[in-house]
Amino acid sequence: MRKNVFCLVCILLIVLVGCKTNVETKKNIAKKDTVVVTMPVTSEPEYGFNPVYGWGAGEHTHEPLIQSTLFITTNDLQIDYDLATDYFVSEDGMTWTVTIREDAYFTDGEKLTAEDVAFTYNTCKQNSSVNDFTMLDYAEAIDEKTVVFHMTRPFSVWSYTMALVGIVPEHVYTSDYGENPVGSGKYILKQWDKGQQVILEANANYYDNAPKIKTVIVLFMEEEISLAAAQSEQSDVSYTSATYADISVADYELYSVISLDNRGINLPTQPAEQKDGIVYGNDVTSDIAIRRAINIALNRESMISNVLNGYASPAYSICDNTPWYQKDSEVQYNLEQANTILDDAGWTIGDDGIRNKNDIRAAFSILYPPSDSIRQGIAEEFCNNMKQIGLEVTPECVGWDIAYDLAQSQPLVWGWGAHTPMELYNIYHSQNGEYARYSPYYNETVDSYMDEALKSTDIETAYTLWQKAQWNGATGITQKGDIPWIWICNVDHLYFVKQGLIISEQKIHPHGHGWSLLNNVDTWEWQ
Amino acid sequence: MKKRIIWIIFVLCAFVIAGYFCKEYALVTDFTNKNISPCIRYPFGTDWMGRNLFFRTLRGISISILIGVTSASISTMIAILFGTVSAFGNKEIDTIIVWLIDFMMGLPHILLLIVVSIAAGRDIKGVILSISLTHWTSLARLIRSELLQLKASTYIQVAEKLGKSKFYLFQKHMIPHILPQCITGWILLFPHTILHESSITFLGFGLKSNQPAIGILLSESMQYIVTGRWWLAVFPGCVLVFVVLLFYDIGKCFQKYYEQKSGV
Repeated sequence: MRKNVFCLVCILLIVLVGCKTNVETKKNIAKKDTVVVTMPVTSEPEYGFNPVYGWGAGEHTHEPLIQSTLFITTNDLQIDYDLATDYFVSEDGMTWTVTIREDAYFTDGEKLTAEDVAFTYNTCKQNSSVNDFTMLDYAEAIDEKTVVFHMTRPFSVWSYTMALVGIVPEHVYTSDYGENPVGSGKYILKQWDKGQQVILEANANYYDNAPKIKTVIVLFMEEEISLAAAQSEQSDVSYTSATYADISVADYELYSVISLDNRGINLPTQPAEQKDGIVYGNDVTSDIAIRRAINIALNRESMISNVLNGYASPAYSICDNTPWYQKDSEVQYNLEQANTILDDAGWTIGDDGIRNKNDIRAAFSILYPPSDSIRQGIAEEFCNNMKQIGLEVTPECVGWDIAYDLAQSQPLVWGWGAHTPMELYNIYHSQNGEYARYSPYYNETVDSYMDEALKSTDIETAYTLWQKAQWNGATGITQKGDIPWIWICNVDHLYFVKQGLIISEQKIHPHGHGWSLLNNVDTWEWQ
Repeated sequence: MKKRIIWIIFVLCAFVIAGYFCKEYALVTDFTNKNISPCIRYPFGTDWMGRNLFFRTLRGISISILIGVTSASISTMIAILFGTVSAFGNKEIDTIIVWLIDFMMGLPHILLLIVVSIAAGRDIKGVILSISLTHWTSLARLIRSELLQLKASTYIQVAEKLGKSKFYLFQKHMIPHILPQCITGWILLFPHTILHESSITFLGFGLKSNQPAIGILLSESMQYIVTGRWWLAVFPGCVLVFVVLLFYDIGKCFQKYYEQKSGV
């Protein structure tokens, strides 16, 4: 017994001493031009810092930091110049001519020329699996500062693609570029300990304003550990979520960023039909009355306060707050009206409180991915909401390995949101004249507006066409239209930020809770 | 002794039956009553979706017990089959089976569990299959050696010389001898299977998160422990430990009972 107690005391002492020294060493690093930022483990780039394989340009778009891009998106998601100084689109939209600045140098001292730009895009076209480059035929450098993109089809949002692709140097590009990136961006990759941390250092020869923050340390960790890192003052910015947002951490303030990171549900618009072993469509949601009733029976406000503790804003489309948002998407919560719509459509309430029509029971599942408590909460609350209008919805957890196929016939809780109108195209435009990719839907008018928007050479006209694709006064994807997807909320991105650190105004974050925050880390400041 | 066993079995049955009736309640979400600490209305508190943890725990433990019964039974049957075939078969078969047992025992259980569970489709079926296929080894080895010992004993050899068939020998002399081992083994497999079911579910390779299994409850609670919601982990954990101890106790009781009977 006595021996045991002795052991216990020893262990406790070791742990205590261990903790203490750990904190002290970390504190020394935190000087006034350094920030330590935590990020989810999934934010670590799998293929390194290579734009060709998705760095900055993959599913979760953000600025590549180490490289620079031709264009950038501004805080209100308009297009602005970075490396480019001017651009010109031909009348038919088939060639884009871009002139670039002449004072940009790679960090190895070589000048960044139009050759490098052309090389980057041609390499992307050949290798990129994360971004769509099928609209590009080839890129060509006419002289040192002019590059011409020859397109295979008109693509008006090409400038948004050009705002994502970091330019790589042709002279040092090899297959392991991702691990030893050389770029012309604001920062240089100093150290990368895989699975742990990334250290970025300011580029002294950067062509624009010199970064105020000289060193950025990014630590990859789970959400609980990220919170612990803030509590033990080992980080300056710790990402967190609605689950932990109510905890107060001494010397830290909660910082919330509005995002495009939406959660929405697909409602297949076709009756069920089997093809190649996959069921496409759903007999219940194929009735437009059901889809319209769901959209207004969904109480977005209460869902946000229940599931997300209030850290989100209601969403009515996939692109709220963007220049291509159609304001007619917005709807009001109205239970009565939802019931009337269903009554009028012939869905009568049965003995068990669930509606029926021609022997079809108004029942379906809602799918959510595992280990995502927010989406699980949304699915559960969705079921509670739908019970009130006599729909029987069953939540079901499915892994991503089968979720895409199942979503063709059952609604799934999705998360989307990117800084480009192409998001609309991916969700609503049909593929090869059949259904849209993620959920069966086809509307010729919607398709044609989007095709036209892509062909347009003027970005303002394109915005209007994107809006018309959503609702043109007669048809579209809004409540009055076909409503093939229901959008619920835009999740706020939350961070614990150490007092004294001033984070510059963020542009609306896209889907993904990672690198976006660092888009403007060069302008952050310590007080 | 007997009274005690009956009592324990009664308690376990009560868990299963209670769990059966909680099926509906365990899934009800009520966001107006989320994160309530234990009180009279919610003896185990509620979770972040306002689900009643008391019902969820009962439901979870009953699922666990059912999975435990099924997979322990299948395991025991595999063990008896392999043990007997190994003891009575020819030398090659014996070598193969002994090698198989060693091989299975050499592999870390949890790895094999994960692989089989994923291959069989991450469902109750997958969990039962994976546990059954990994837990038969030690019992099979025990049965094999018991039978080998029996085969060499005088009274069996005399019976054989008297012209009794192999089947007669097996039925009359062998089965009564190995039955106590099998029952004890079966019961002692229980706690193992329940714990393993919970652990692979906890790791995310077992049951799906819409089934309120104990492993799911525990892994869900991990996220909220930091926020001070201790009841999410403590109560399901305690119930799990309690049930495992009950099984262990039955096993011990049986062992003692047979020891007394056989006068060891």
